[in-house]
Amino acid sequence: MLSKTALFLSLIVNLCGATSALYGQSAALLEAAKKEGKVTVYGSLESDTMDVIMQGFRKKTGIEAKYWRASATKVMDRAMSEFRAGKPLADGIVAADNVMRLMQQQGFFQKYESPTNSDFPKDVIDPNLGPRYRNVVVGVVYNKSALKPAEFPKSLEDLAKPQYKGKIVMPDPTQHTTTTQWLASLYKIMGKEKSEKFMRDLAANKPVWVESLLPSAERVASGEFPIAITYVKYAYIHGQKGAPVDYVREPKLIGDASYITLASKAPHVKAGNAFIDYFLDDESMKMMSKLGEFVNRKGVLPPLPGADKIGFVEMDDLSTKDFAEKKKEYTQIFLR
Amino acid sequence: MSTPETTLTVQPPLTSVWRRSRIGAFLSQPVSWVFLVVGSIIAFLSLYPTYFLFYGSLTDAPLGVPGKFTLDNYVKAYSDSEAYSLMLNSFIFGIGSSGLSVVFALALAWITIRTDAPFRRLFELTAIIPNILPPILVSISWVMLLNPSNGLINGLFVKLFGLEKGPFNIYSMAGLIYVEALILTPLAFLIVAAALKSMDPSLEESAKTLGSGEFSVMRRITFPLIRPAILAAGTLNFVRAVESFDTPAIIALPARIEVFTTKIWREALGSFPTNHNLAAAYGVGILAVALVFVYLYRRFTSRVESFSTVTGKGFRPHQIDLGLWRYAASGAAFFLLILLVVLPILVLSLVAILPYYHVPTWQTWQNLTISHFQYVWATPRVHKAFMNSLFLALVGATACMILASLASYITVRTKIAGRGIIEGLVFIPWAFPGTAMALGLLWAYVDFPIPVYATIWIILIAYVTRFLPYGLRAVTSTIIQVHKELEEASIVCGAGFMATFRRVLIPMMRPGVMAGWIILVTIFMREFSATLFLYSPGAEPLGPLLYFLYLDGMRGRVAAIGLVISLISVILIAIAQRYSRWDTK
Repeated sequence: MLSKTALFLSLIVNLCGATSALYGQSAALLEAAKKEGKVTVYGSLESDTMDVIMQGFRKKTGIEAKYWRASATKVMDRAMSEFRAGKPLADGIVAADNVMRLMQQQGFFQKYESPTNSDFPKDVIDPNLGPRYRNVVVGVVYNKSALKPAEFPKSLEDLAKPQYKGKIVMPDPTQHTTTTQWLASLYKIMGKEKSEKFMRDLAANKPVWVESLLPSAERVASGEFPIAITYVKYAYIHGQKGAPVDYVREPKLIGDASYITLASKAPHVKAGNAFIDYFLDDESMKMMSKLGEFVNRKGVLPPLPGADKIGFVEMDDLSTKDFAEKKKEYTQIFLR
Repeated sequence: MSTPETTLTVQPPLTSVWRRSRIGAFLSQPVSWVFLVVGSIIAFLSLYPTYFLFYGSLTDAPLGVPGKFTLDNYVKAYSDSEAYSLMLNSFIFGIGSSGLSVVFALALAWITIRTDAPFRRLFELTAIIPNILPPILVSISWVMLLNPSNGLINGLFVKLFGLEKGPFNIYSMAGLIYVEALILTPLAFLIVAAALKSMDPSLEESAKTLGSGEFSVMRRITFPLIRPAILAAGTLNFVRAVESFDTPAIIALPARIEVFTTKIWREALGSFPTNHNLAAAYGVGILAVALVFVYLYRRFTSRVESFSTVTGKGFRPHQIDLGLWRYAASGAAFFLLILLVVLPILVLSLVAILPYYHVPTWQTWQNLTISHFQYVWATPRVHKAFMNSLFLALVGATACMILASLASYITVRTKIAGRGIIEGLVFIPWAFPGTAMALGLLWAYVDFPIPVYATIWIILIAYVTRFLPYGLRAVTSTIIQVHKELEEASIVCGAGFMATFRRVLIPMMRPGVMAGWIILVTIFMREFSATLFLYSPGAEPLGPLLYFLYLDGMRGRVAAIGLVISLISVILIAIAQRYSRWDTK
């Protein structure tokens, strides 16, 4: 069970030692971080995952670590409001690509080259935001008990078949930003014409809308709907709990990236640096991977069957204007 | 010899003498000072964050960034024809759910307070439980019960009656109205029950003496006398329904029904990046609607003395002997409570013991787990959240009710010019969409000279600001029924304003005060839309904790915590209800 896995991992963390130095860090940084005494992180990473990481960090360094969790846009709202008011509380931000880039453009971050960066492939390291620590991959998850084996979808394109009319659940593409980006990026794996046809055929199948990717996964795990467009990691997470779910194997899947970066007005800079080092380190990345995350650290894969064969294609970043246009377009396509 | 100087004394104009004597007369009354203090507090709480929201609706940049004055937000919000069709949807939704909630509440309140139906004390206690549950959990429970694919009730009907498919579809306007009505019923129940408890039965007894039957008395005496309470409950619930987002997000979206708040979410609060300026412009529209209803409410209840039934004579609320019909009354109340309480709690209990939610099969019972309750028991973060929420609930509700009682007295009982403004001010923050108001509070207090931001005190301020109308409504519908003769008798006997207020009015208003306190405690225990923006990691209450566990897909933990919150709240309510009875004296 997921919660037992998290508990097990936190036990391992506790047994692994107290105040040994973090990978590659200078003693001077750690000493300075301890003097600051605490670090506060705002982010959209799931609480269970972050709780385990924070516990490990506290154990390793003795530094108090606090986490404020919200959706990516709410994290940005709060952090930027405090920033503009001159009262920033966050030392670091953990959030999705689009939000991080918007904050970056407004001067919210400062560059920090963690010594752990060398354990990430060069192509995942952003010059301003650092390593893309994880990919969240969107695909098709289905309930094996709600469909006959012959009815299991074999590809993303299968969702356009009339036999699946009324059986698909997905986030509202006119409202959920990741889904908007996903649809807008489908041309990268299907080609432009095929992706447009797919969207129209999918719309004709009247998918049921929910507010985001997780409720989509929950509706399929509970058997209310047989097929969902959602993060493929939920096939592992709900599968661990006993749900009869699986995901459609595709050679390429589109997903979003996540980063952790230091705030430019961080009240505790050294503690923030120390936390980033720990977060990107082997121990933390392995913990995340065991909880189903597709992390980018070399040689670390989630226990999802077929994970090593998934080719990750990053979603397009959309500007504010692009989002508005795409939302209008999808309203036309899906609600006509 | 010089002429002695003559000192000319300029007589002040008569108008300024008149004005000074008027001001002096005003300030010589203790109640005037209460008006000034209470009015100032309410004006500050209400106008300070509202100013930031209005400002935000009239600029093109987020707060903290220099922006230009613009009406573009209003043009964008209100030039869209879709906004009006969605407002109509919201009206239908609001009227349907508030009307149905008042019907449920009236039936339940009448049975529990005015009849001799068995188990009525139990009904009175459990009718409030749905208010304890986060609305999102109630919505989720009913989706699990009534969804057309594998809803539990639909499945039962299919099995029992051999139907092809279940008869109910929660994903419809009817489903939306029904679930929202269930969520709103406890508030209406508390207000109507408080009014029924406060009534002097002499009018009803006179009618019976003159030959009217029980139902005729109910129809022609009782219900007209509690009309202010019914209207108060309906008004409050209408605005709450129109402003609601949780239920439409869970139920309306799969049905592809849109209401005004889902549009606000889609285009402003949930868009990327969030457009708070546009959300503020939308919020002003909802504010206008809310203020219209406040005005209408005050018009409906303007004939105060005709509703006065609590007099100086001692009394006990009249109980109707239903004879054998009392079992039918209990049955009806039980049925309502099954819908309001039993079914959602059963579903939550099921979710709390399953590793993941699914329709139970024989195999399910082999995979039950108590891990979610273990999480609640063993996690310091959860314990801290409970302590923070208890503090906010007890202190916040008490502070709110003190302010509400004083404000209600001023608006209902005095003739002070400007007293109506207090009621309007109270409703302003509440009329904005919850998240938009929360942002106004964030903007207002992030740079406040007193360092309340990022502490539990900012959350307390937010709760009092946003939920004062609930307290005000609950106590106002009771104070209307208290006749002036009691106050006059106290003053004639030499008691000052505070003594009269404390020793005569507060005891008379006790049912309404306790009703308001109970409403506020249950809301504060699980509030999250305002808290989300304002809490800091060290001061996390239960609302954000529940919300993020829900976001992370941990429904089992959410259900387990929801059940524990319900248990604690029931204990608090039972204690409070003990103090709200007349017959405890």
